[in-house]
Amino acid sequence: MRTLIFGAGNLLLSDEGFGVHAIRYLEEHYDLPEEVELFDGGTLGIMVTHKLEEAERIYVLDVVDAAGEPGKLYRFEKEEIMLDRLPLKMSPHQIGIQEVLFLTEMRGTCPERVSLIGVIPGSLEAGCELTPPLQGRVAQVAEMVADELRADGLEVRRKAHNGD
Amino acid sequence: MARITLDPITRIEGHLRIDVEINGDRVIDAWASAQMWRGIETILKGRPPEDAWSFTQRFCGVCTTVHAIASIRSVEHALNVEVPLNAQYIRNMMIAQHSVQDHIVHFYHLSALDWVDIVSALKADPKKTAQIAQSISEWPGNSEKEFKAVQEKLKSFVSTGRLGIFASGYWGHPAMKLPPEVNLMATAHYLTALDYQRKASQAVAILGGKNPHIQNLVVGGVATALNTENVATINMERLAFLRTLMEESRAFVQNVYYPDVVAIASAYKEWFGYGAGVTNYLAVPEFPEDTKGTQFALNGGVLFDANPATFRVIKDHRDEYLIKNINENVDRAWYRGEESLHPWEGETKPAYSDFQENGKYSWCKAPRLEGKPVQVGPPAQILASYLSGNEKVKKLVDGTCKQVGIGLKDLHSTMGRLAARAIRAHLMADLSLEYLDKLIANVAKGDTDYANHTEIPVGDYRGVGFHEAPRGTLSHWLVIKDKKIHNYQAVVPSTWNASPRDGKGQLGPYEASLKGNPVAQHDKPLEVLRTIHSFDPCIACAVHAIDPEGKEITRVKAL
Repeated sequence: MRTLIFGAGNLLLSDEGFGVHAIRYLEEHYDLPEEVELFDGGTLGIMVTHKLEEAERIYVLDVVDAAGEPGKLYRFEKEEIMLDRLPLKMSPHQIGIQEVLFLTEMRGTCPERVSLIGVIPGSLEAGCELTPPLQGRVAQVAEMVADELRADGLEVRRKAHNGD
Repeated sequence: MARITLDPITRIEGHLRIDVEINGDRVIDAWASAQMWRGIETILKGRPPEDAWSFTQRFCGVCTTVHAIASIRSVEHALNVEVPLNAQYIRNMMIAQHSVQDHIVHFYHLSALDWVDIVSALKADPKKTAQIAQSISEWPGNSEKEFKAVQEKLKSFVSTGRLGIFASGYWGHPAMKLPPEVNLMATAHYLTALDYQRKASQAVAILGGKNPHIQNLVVGGVATALNTENVATINMERLAFLRTLMEESRAFVQNVYYPDVVAIASAYKEWFGYGAGVTNYLAVPEFPEDTKGTQFALNGGVLFDANPATFRVIKDHRDEYLIKNINENVDRAWYRGEESLHPWEGETKPAYSDFQENGKYSWCKAPRLEGKPVQVGPPAQILASYLSGNEKVKKLVDGTCKQVGIGLKDLHSTMGRLAARAIRAHLMADLSLEYLDKLIANVAKGDTDYANHTEIPVGDYRGVGFHEAPRGTLSHWLVIKDKKIHNYQAVVPSTWNASPRDGKGQLGPYEASLKGNPVAQHDKPLEVLRTIHSFDPCIACAVHAIDPEGKEITRVKAL
C-alpha cells in the first residue's frame, strides 16, 4: 500500500511550517520502506492534487486554527473531513487540502484512508524556526506516524546515528 | 448608494479584501486591500546570496519556481555572470511548464466557476453536450459516455448534499448564462484538467529534481547533470518521458483549454466591455536564448493608456529605463515612510492602522513605473510581443480575435485577460517542446556545459532579476555587501496589480478594473469576482492554517 506523508505549510512563517518541519524530521531520523513517501507539499493545495491521488493512505501534517494552547494536537479522519462533520471551509483558501480531497472523491480517486494531524500554532510571524511549544511536537508527531506505519506492518526504524 | 465588502476574496492564495461602492447596479469606486503582512524579505538579510533562491521559493504558495528563477537571476545580474545554453534551455522548460500548470489550474479551478454553473450541468443532455464539444475540438475525451458519467457522479454528490468544493458557488445567478450542455462540458473538463496539470508538474519535477521547490539551480546555471548515457542524470530515457509529458499537456491546452475559453468568451462577449482598469502595461522579455541574455523568444515592453503609439520596447533585463523607473509608494499602505523608494533602497517597516478608506488600508505597497500604476500579466506580455511584431504571437492573437469576433483593443477587459492567458498557455506548451529539441541538438553538438561556477566575491554589488511569470513581471532586487545579502525586495506581479492608491491618488489595477462593473445582486457580487479572478490574484503570503471551528471564512457584507 502506498502511503503518503504530506507536510503542508510555509517554512518562512515560523509555526506555519510545522508540517514541512515534521517531514524533514522524519527524513532525517527514520528509515522508511519504499512504499512510504515523504512529501514537502508547501502551500500548493490544488497544484499537488495528484500526489494525494497516487496514495492509498495519507497523513496530512499541518497547523490548525483552533481553540487551545499552542502545541495542542488535533486529529481528524477522512470521515470527519468528508462528511461535513467539520465545517466545509477549513482553509482560508477556497481550495485547501479539504477541498482537494472533495475533488478527488468526485474524480473517484480519493484514497480510502486519510488522517489529518494538526497542531495549534503559537506564531505565524516571518521566521524560519518553530516556537518552543511546536518544536517539542515535531518528534512526537513523527513517532506517532511511525508507530502507525509499524502497526500497518511496515518496517520503520529510527536511524542509529541520529538517536536523539 | 451601497457598499459591499468581500473579505477574503476566495479561490486565491493569501487574504485579499475588496470593497466596492455601488450606485444602482454599477460599481463606482473600489478598494483592494491585502490583509496579510509579507515581511519575508527580512528573513533574507545577512544570508549568503547564493542561497536566496531556495528561500524565496517559499515566498508564495503557488509560484515557487518563479521566485527561484528571479532570485538566481538577481545574483547573476549583480555579478555579470553568463549562463550556459543548456542551463538556459533547462530553465526555460521549467518556466514554460510551470506556466502551463499554473494557467490550467487558474482557468479551470480558480476562475471557471465564475462563468460555469455546475448545478445547471445536471439538466444537460449528454448527447447534445458531446455534439457541441466535438464541433469545437477533436479531443477524444469529448464523448457522450464521458459526459454522462460526469453528470451521474455530480448527481450522486448533489443527492447526498455533498457538493463539497462547489458548495460556495453562485449557482442560478442571473449573470450565469451558459446553456446546461456547455456547463456540463466545462464541468467534465474541470475534472480532467487535474490530470494535465499533473503532467506539467511532473515535467518540472524531472527538470528541477523536485516539484514543488525545485532543487537544481546554481548561480551561473543549473545543477542538473547532463549525460545522455547515464541513468542517474538527465539521460535519453528521461528526455523521452519529458517529451511525452509535454506533448500530452500541450494537447490538452490546445484542444480543450483554449477551445473552452473561446466558447465561454463567445457566450459572454459583453465581458470584453468590462474590467479594463489601468491600461498601462509592463512585460519583460522572457526565454533567454543565448548565454548573455540578449536574445529572447517573447518580447518585453511598456505601453501607456492602451495607446500603441506609446509602445516602448524593453530589449533585455539590463534595460536602464526599466531599472531606474520602478518605485514603490507606501502613502496608502501600512508601512512607515513617506517617499516612494526604489527597490534597492526599499524598506519593509510595518505600521498597521486599521482600514482607512481615505488613509492607509493595505499591506500591499504600490509599485509604480514613472510614477504611474501599471498592469502586469498575460495581456501585457501578449501585447508587448504583438506590438513588437512577434509573428507567432500575432498569428495566435489574430486567430483568437477572429474566432471570438473581437479586436485587439478588446483584450483590455475582464474576458480579455482570460483570453490572453489561454493564448499564453498555448505559447508556453509549444515553447517547452522547442527548448527540448534545442537542448538535445546542443548536447548532440558536444556542448555539455550546464553551469558557470561562480563564487560570490568580496565587495558591494546590486542586481535585479526579472522574470515574466504566469501572473506577470516579477523582479527581485538584491544588494550584496561582503558576500552577504544587505537588502532584498521582491516586486511581485500581484503587488503591481493589487496595489492600493498611491500618494497621487491613482488607483491600482484591481481597483480601477472594478469601476463600471455591473452588480446584479448586491448580496451575491459574482461580477466583482469575475473581474478580480481574471487577474489570477495571488497575494503571496501563503498562510493557510486550517480552521476546524468553522469560523466564518468568507464574508460578503452588503450595506
